[in-house]
Amino acid sequence: MTITIGIACFVLVLVMFMQFKIVNETDITSIENMRETELRTELANWKSRYDETNAQYEEVQSTIEEYKQTKESNDETEKLVDDELATVNMNLGKTDVEGEGIEITLRETDNDRITQINADDLLVIVNALKLAGAEAISINDERIINMTDIVNIDANTDNLFVRINGQRILAPYVIKAIGNQSYLESALVGKGGYVDELRTIGHDVTIEKKDKITILKYDDEITTKYIQ
Amino acid sequence: MIFIAILIGCILGAIIGINAPMVSYTYSSYLAIAIIAALDSVFGGITSVINKNFDLKIFITGFFGNAILSILLTILGEKLNVDIYLAAIVVFVGRMFTNLAIIRRYYVDKWSDKFKKFKQQEEKEEKNKEENVVES
Repeated sequence: MTITIGIACFVLVLVMFMQFKIVNETDITSIENMRETELRTELANWKSRYDETNAQYEEVQSTIEEYKQTKESNDETEKLVDDELATVNMNLGKTDVEGEGIEITLRETDNDRITQINADDLLVIVNALKLAGAEAISINDERIINMTDIVNIDANTDNLFVRINGQRILAPYVIKAIGNQSYLESALVGKGGYVDELRTIGHDVTIEKKDKITILKYDDEITTKYIQ
Repeated sequence: MIFIAILIGCILGAIIGINAPMVSYTYSSYLAIAIIAALDSVFGGITSVINKNFDLKIFITGFFGNAILSILLTILGEKLNVDIYLAAIVVFVGRMFTNLAIIRRYYVDKWSDKFKKFKQQEEKEEKNKEENVVES
């Protein structure tokens, strides 16, 4: 009787200690040892976490998309501004330009009876060209811009010379103009044309039509001091 | 006498159990319910010894039968998706408390009887002494 109970106790405690060991040494947080319900809750947990992360990811993605769009529109604006800047620079005469036009050459003559070509003549020609719609004009590669000065220096003496953009210009004068060739030419020749007048006086003036004329840019800085 | 047997069994079981090989965690729930059943059987056995109606066959069949039955019930519960092992635990633990109460009462009565007898003896001795003093 007592031996039987002793054996029963022995078996019981043996199994109990084995169980203690299992419970002690098993890591219940590892997936292999989880019960189905635990796994289920864990799975649901991870799923919700995944959904959350996914939502965050999408949010970030949309933000990135937004930034990209903003950047693209910025690029567009930048391009527009650049284009405009280029146009403005071209109009101002700060870039070299090319196009069809005419080239007028006024040469010095040895004839003493007539006055030498001076700034007044050049001014008249430039004005006529502007009237005829010239888009860019230069005299001896000095670009004519809105603030260009064309003046006689020492007009009353024999050492007359012309100054354009503050630079001393000497004969022969080569005036280049970009624009409609026939308009430009007709503004200078024909009845009342100034070139014809000069020719009748005795000056050596030639007009050349060219399909491609290169007019150099205005070299100096355009500075403003009083414009606000 | 019975306590010595229990003690030796427990100590031997503990020593061998600690050195026993590991069982997979999957079976630990079955093992746990079997332990509860066996514990109940042991308490039942002790109670029957106290009540002097101990039967070896009943004890052994109860010990192993209860354990195996509870394991089978747990497996069935898992298959049916019902936590039958909870019912087994309730029954076994309830019976364990009943048996424990019977054991407790028996020993409390035993000790209080002994105490009473001891006190009566002392009183008798004192009376005898007083009588002796009076006689002298």
